[in-house]
Amino acid sequence: MASYWFGDVAGGVCRPCPGHELEALSDRLDLLSEKDERYVPFTWDLARECGFVHSREEYIAVLRSLCTMRAEKELGRISRTPEMELVYMVRMLDQIDEAANLLTGRALEWHAAKDPAFSRKLCDLRGQKAREMLAGSENPVISAIATELTHLSEVRSALSREITALATDVMPNSSGLVGGVVAARLLSAAGGLSRLARLPAATIQVLGARIALFSHLRSGTPPPKHGIIYQHRRVHAAGKARRGKVSRTLAAKLAIAARIDCYRGRPDPGFLESAGQAIDRAGGRR
Amino acid sequence: MIWIDGVLVSSGQGGVYGERTLSGKRVWNPYRSKLAAYYHLGGDVEIGPSTRVLYLGAAHGTTVSHVADYAEIVYAVENACIPMRDLLAVAAGRKNIIPLFADATRPREYGPLVETVQLLVQDVAHPDQAGIAIANSVFLEEGGAAILAIKARSIDVSRSPREVVEEVCRTLTGTPLVVGKVIWLEPYHRDHAILVCRKHEP
Repeated sequence: MASYWFGDVAGGVCRPCPGHELEALSDRLDLLSEKDERYVPFTWDLARECGFVHSREEYIAVLRSLCTMRAEKELGRISRTPEMELVYMVRMLDQIDEAANLLTGRALEWHAAKDPAFSRKLCDLRGQKAREMLAGSENPVISAIATELTHLSEVRSALSREITALATDVMPNSSGLVGGVVAARLLSAAGGLSRLARLPAATIQVLGARIALFSHLRSGTPPPKHGIIYQHRRVHAAGKARRGKVSRTLAAKLAIAARIDCYRGRPDPGFLESAGQAIDRAGGRR
Repeated sequence: MIWIDGVLVSSGQGGVYGERTLSGKRVWNPYRSKLAAYYHLGGDVEIGPSTRVLYLGAAHGTTVSHVADYAEIVYAVENACIPMRDLLAVAAGRKNIIPLFADATRPREYGPLVETVQLLVQDVAHPDQAGIAIANSVFLEEGGAAILAIKARSIDVSRSPREVVEEVCRTLTGTPLVVGKVIWLEPYHRDHAILVCRKHEP
């Protein structure tokens, strides 16, 4: 038997689907995709002989509506999952940081030009201190920007808390190892939890170090030791000589954590404890 | 294919992605589209009003919209969410694009929906481009053409693009896809080649 979207053909006899109702056609397709059938070539004439449609125009019109409906449904399903929500949240967070840093840097430079007593070194100020400095400016534009930056930093803190909470829920084990925000960044770089769970540890280790990795592959510069996971305390706090080892161990444990998160979806305290110990050992702490 | 003073164009509803128009026809830019570059470099696989096309890696639907201007119908397969949204918008404006939100490595997912086609176009970034082409050759009519855009750098950055293309050709030997011409897309695209195959069942 050969099954098509418009009907089944068995023993030279075609049984068409009872109507053009899209939901019913779509449900039938879902069932078909579970079967493991060999593709038997066909053209639309089969659907006409079957009595499903009368003309080529009709065939294309029904098929097009059906496929559009299915694609829209699937897109909606994917974008509504908490895991995609987390990806959008963490990308927003990183964009806020980038924008805030740019604005702060630019405003400080202007502030410095207005006030010769203001040292160039202070241009490297970031965060709270920079905002205070700018708020005290006599220039109304600069102080207004300082106010906006304060608002932005409040939004950022709230978003960061939300990310941590959602990540703890969606990927409890990965979050347990590196914290919610870093876990969410890994999720965003991999493009979803199921993709992260399928990545080898060596890839997780250098996620987010694309430029360094490709420079290594193309021209043999030293390979990157870490990507996003560098942001985790135990990696960046480790001594330079230890960092590679810590990154490797952490990435190996993260690969396991992501798989538990994806396929089991519950925190595993036993795993988290032993993984934590292994990472500490790699860092030279007992 | 339609040429106006050496410029490749297609005739259809404009304004899909901000493309220029020339005498009321849509300019098909070889620097943006690998398929357009192929035609600029002497590609001779014609797409006509009765051609059915299976397009793997439809992305945002820019090239697909031009193919649809020429072809009878285009089955456009795309697997990523954000490009798919744009593709749906393009497909909404054209009656002959069938959007398929599926993975080209798993043709079974869309097999019951796709008729046999005369032309297979593949523009996917995947290490196993040859494998994908072979798996999808079931949809191709005997004697039909397969145009594969080989993204040498996406297959393996550490090897030279020539080696990568030779390897793809070797993988295709003995399969229903018989390799014909290899066209490098310089100066339009770096490290990209178009591989033209014909389907002949052994």
